[in-house]
Amino acid sequence: MRTMNKKLTSVVLWGFFLAVLAFFPQVFGVYYSNMVVTLAIFSVFALSLNMLMGYTGLLSFGHAMYFGFGGYGTALALKHIPGLGILPAIGLGMLAAVVLALVLCPLVVRVSGTAFAMLHLAFGQLLYVLALKLYFVTGGEDGIANFPVPGLLTESLKTAPAHMYYLAVIVLGVCIWLMWFLTKTPFGQIQVGIRDNAKRIDYLGFKVPQSKAVIYTLSALFAGVAGSIYGISHNLVSADGSLGIGMSFAPIVSIMIGGVGSFFGPIVGVAIFQLVDELILRYTESTELVMGVILVTVVMFMPRGFMGLWDTLKIKIKARWAAGAGMEKTS
Amino acid sequence: MNPTVSMYLSQGIHGIAYGMILFLIASGLNIIFGMMGILNMAHAVFFMLAGYFCYQVVTLTGSFWVGLLVAPLLTAVLGVLMERLFLRRAQKVGHFGELILTMGIGSVIVAAIKKIWGTESLPLQMPGMLSGMVNIAGMSYPVYRLFVIGLALLILVFMMLLLYRTRLGKIVRAAVSDRDMVNALGININLVFMFVFGVGTWMAGVAGVAIAPILTVFPGLADQVGMDAFIVVVTGGFGSLAGAFIVSIIFGLLSSYGVQFVSQFAPVLMVVFMAIVLAFRPNGLFGVKG
Repeated sequence: MRTMNKKLTSVVLWGFFLAVLAFFPQVFGVYYSNMVVTLAIFSVFALSLNMLMGYTGLLSFGHAMYFGFGGYGTALALKHIPGLGILPAIGLGMLAAVVLALVLCPLVVRVSGTAFAMLHLAFGQLLYVLALKLYFVTGGEDGIANFPVPGLLTESLKTAPAHMYYLAVIVLGVCIWLMWFLTKTPFGQIQVGIRDNAKRIDYLGFKVPQSKAVIYTLSALFAGVAGSIYGISHNLVSADGSLGIGMSFAPIVSIMIGGVGSFFGPIVGVAIFQLVDELILRYTESTELVMGVILVTVVMFMPRGFMGLWDTLKIKIKARWAAGAGMEKTS
Repeated sequence: MNPTVSMYLSQGIHGIAYGMILFLIASGLNIIFGMMGILNMAHAVFFMLAGYFCYQVVTLTGSFWVGLLVAPLLTAVLGVLMERLFLRRAQKVGHFGELILTMGIGSVIVAAIKKIWGTESLPLQMPGMLSGMVNIAGMSYPVYRLFVIGLALLILVFMMLLLYRTRLGKIVRAAVSDRDMVNALGININLVFMFVFGVGTWMAGVAGVAIAPILTVFPGLADQVGMDAFIVVVTGGFGSLAGAFIVSIIFGLLSSYGVQFVSQFAPVLMVVFMAIVLAFRPNGLFGVKG
């Protein structure tokens, strides 16, 4: 009976959530639906990094290169291939990120820990500097802007923000669902095993470098999709906007704020990050101060992030409730 | 002397001077990481802060020398405070949390700098006896760059003596290789950490003061030079002072000759060098720790 109820509640909640998403642009207008798109993009990006960091224990300082490759791939394809549809273009962006991951794979799966992070810092910076300098391909500092963005139903997505919204939300929603699904599979369990004790997983007969390579490529794929949608929705892909070191650190910070090691933590982190950004722009100019204070507070007082804080609170409330119930019984 | 040769030589001196400054920052970063496992993202901010302190001291007292003495010490005091008040209490969150923590502290300091000194770039006057040129063997060099090289070498020698000729240095080196063991031997490791953090930020402070008259002081300084120093540490290998020294010089020369020959692609050179080194030696040129 209780499980039935629980199931029913979750179905109703999900239905409500999807309905809100579906009618969001009509109810709240362009400004807020753009915010949802941005939230979805950075959620997918942070989740893709969390696949490496939270689930496999690999910290990367250069994840922006996959985000950027996705963006540049899509933008270049739309600019140079006439009549290309929007979905193939996103697919090409994804492919660009995957190809880059496959090229780097043999090099990076051998290492872990600091060396892994530093290797990514090196290649991330290399690609960033190259994107700045090879202006005849990438447009240098200006980046690639004003490329055509064909829609599925309309001529161009630029004039139809609602269509843009639906495309982004559906594609990114599918990505989030796929990543969630992956953590539930036996393969996802192996990843957690690698994080906790790579040697033991090796003894159990699983191939550690190969599984690392698979998860790495998948992570790059999702980051590529996020970057591709980012490029499309802004109609601009630039070195600083998609490839810079800041873009590599933003998801790390989000994951830390939200909570390391929980699936939905990064989404919470991204949401808080975005909320703070929005509020800062309205009330003060010093983004650094607010962000810095938040980071220090999170690390000092809630090391498992907001999701960790939530869990602790839940346990405390439950304990108090149980104690209260016990008291009533005895009295 | 042949003008081309003299130009190459003076470019070389420029490169070495910049490399020396990089080394001062990188070695502090390196020794802190080697010993405490902390990747101090606020290190470059301390470097910049020293420049601002020096600017303030020079406007108050009018003497660069007082600035050179006082500013790094003030920075070191702040560094020690940061270690004592924040990092030590955050030990349980692990190295990843510490990294984020130093990032947060760094950005608070940058915000404070912008609030106090504004965002414009502030010029710092070189002291009279260091401005101008000196003639050696028929060539003229800017005195200030030679002074920077000399200062860095002096600190290098001082550090080497401290690390390899004193009991304290022995403890520090032992703590780099196994801090728990050193702690178990009855040495107050927390005190040693505080000292090392202080020395590390002091060296960053000296570098900040030294570079201030060359590049002026502005809020983007930390990002610009800090990234280079970070790359030096990564390429040279964490925990290796010799690696940091050699790579600093290489990078200084790469950047000064790079600007001369392939000005467009000068920043690429350093990163390519780093990528190649790390591809073959993931722990850096002289790195021992994983």
